[in-house]
Amino acid sequence: MSEANPLETARVEFERTLQRGAKGLAYLTAPPPALGISPKKTVLSKGTMQLYHYTQPSDEVYRVPILLVMATTNRGYIFDMVPGQSFVEFLINRGYDVFMLDWDAPRADEKNLGIDDYVLDFIPASIAKVAEISGESDVSIVGYCFGGVLSLLWAALNPDSPMKNLATFTTPVNFKAMEMFQAWADQRFFDVDRLTDTFGNCPAEMLYSAFDMLRPAAKLAGNIRLLDNLWDDEFVNSHRMFDRWATDMLPLAGRYFRETTKQLMWDNALYEGRMEIAGRKVDLGAIKAPFFHAVAEHDHIIPSAASQPLVQMIGSKDKQEVVLKGGHVSLIAGGNAVKRLWPQLDLWLQDRSL
Amino acid sequence: MSNTPNDPMAFFRQMVSQWEKVTNEFGGKVASSSEFAQGMQGMTTASLTVQQAVSEATGKALTAANMPTRADMIAIGERLGAVEAQLTRIETLLTKTNAPPTIGPKRTRKPPPK
Repeated sequence: MSEANPLETARVEFERTLQRGAKGLAYLTAPPPALGISPKKTVLSKGTMQLYHYTQPSDEVYRVPILLVMATTNRGYIFDMVPGQSFVEFLINRGYDVFMLDWDAPRADEKNLGIDDYVLDFIPASIAKVAEISGESDVSIVGYCFGGVLSLLWAALNPDSPMKNLATFTTPVNFKAMEMFQAWADQRFFDVDRLTDTFGNCPAEMLYSAFDMLRPAAKLAGNIRLLDNLWDDEFVNSHRMFDRWATDMLPLAGRYFRETTKQLMWDNALYEGRMEIAGRKVDLGAIKAPFFHAVAEHDHIIPSAASQPLVQMIGSKDKQEVVLKGGHVSLIAGGNAVKRLWPQLDLWLQDRSL
Repeated sequence: MSNTPNDPMAFFRQMVSQWEKVTNEFGGKVASSSEFAQGMQGMTTASLTVQQAVSEATGKALTAANMPTRADMIAIGERLGAVEAQLTRIETLLTKTNAPPTIGPKRTRKPPPK
C-alpha cells in the first residue's frame, strides 16, 4: 500500500475505534454462528456414529459417491462451515454425491468402544449404507486427521473392498514425530489406564487443553487480533466460526483412547508395521487404490515428519502427496482451503470418479 | 488491515505477532520437556485421585439413601440406547417397506473439458 495521508489514517482509525465499540457489543450478545447447515438427511445412526447424506440439487452426478470420514476428536461441520466456505457445498456444486461419517460424544456406556469398533463396524456399516443409497458399489473415501487414520486402517484390512479412491488430509502415521504429544503421553508419567478407569471416556476438556497447550500464546493473541479487527465483519465472522468449532471438542471412548495411546503413541505400531486390529495385521502396503495425501506446511498438530512418510508406505501405484500452505485447520476450511486444497482434490477426483 | 508507516496500530500489531511467536516457541520447548510432562501428569494423577475418592464416597452415600448411583444411571442409559437402536432398526424396515422407490440423480457426469 502506498504511503497514506496521516490525517486520513487517523480518521480511518477513529472510525474503526467507534465501530469496535458498537460491533463489540453486538459480538458479545450475538448467538453462536449457524454452522453445518447444508441440507442433509441422517441415513444411519449408531450410538456415537452418524452418517449424513447431503441433498444433491443437480440431476447428474459423478458415478462414484464420496464418503467423508471426520476425525473423532471434533465435529464434522468443519467440512460444512457456512455457504461459500463449505467443503460439502463445494463438492456438491462440482457434481459429487456426498456422504459424511460424523461423530457424537460417546455416551458413558460407550466407553468400551475400541479402534476395532470404528474400523470393523462403523466404517463398513457406512460404506454399505452408501452403496445401498447410491446403488454403486464403488466409493471414494476422504479422511481428515484421525478420520484418515481410521480410513487407512479399514482400507489396509480390506484390500478387496469397493474403495475406488482414498484421500487423506493431515493424517499422521509416524506418531513418534509428534514431539509434544509424545512428551505429554510419556509412558513413565502418563497412566492412561487409570484415567480411563476413572472417567470412563477421555474428557473433551482434557483434549482441548492439550491442543491449546501446543500454542500457548495463540488464544490470547487471537483475542487481541479479534479486538483489533472488530470493525471488520468478515474477520469477526471467520473468527467466530473457527473458534466455535475448535472449542466444540468431543470426548473419546475410553478403550479407543487407551488403544490409541498404547498402540500408536507409545508403540508407534502403524509406522513400525506392528499394528493389529482384532488380531488382524495392518499392512498399509496392501492399499492399492489411487491415493491422495494433503499435508499442511505449517501444521502444528501433525508436523510434516509425522505425516509425510505415509505416501511411501501405501502400496498404490497411483499415489500423490501435495504440500500446501496453511495449518492443520486452514488446510481444509476457510479462504485458504477454497483456493488451494479443494480445487486440487476436485481435479484429482474428477477422472477417478467415473 | 492498514500497515503503512503512518498507521498508529502497526507497531502494536507487529509486537503482538512477535510476542506470540516467541511465547509459542519458548512454551513449546518447555512443554516438550520431560520435567513439564512429569509435572502435568502429576497434577492429572492428583485430580484423578480426588475424582475417584469423591465418586466412591458419593456412590456410597447414594446407595445408603436408596438412590441410583452414576453407575446405575449409566446402566439405564445403556438399556435405553439398546431400545433406541432396536426402534431405529424397526423404523428403517418400515420406511423401506412403505416408501416409494426414489430416483436419484443420473450417475453419468463427466469432468469438464481441460
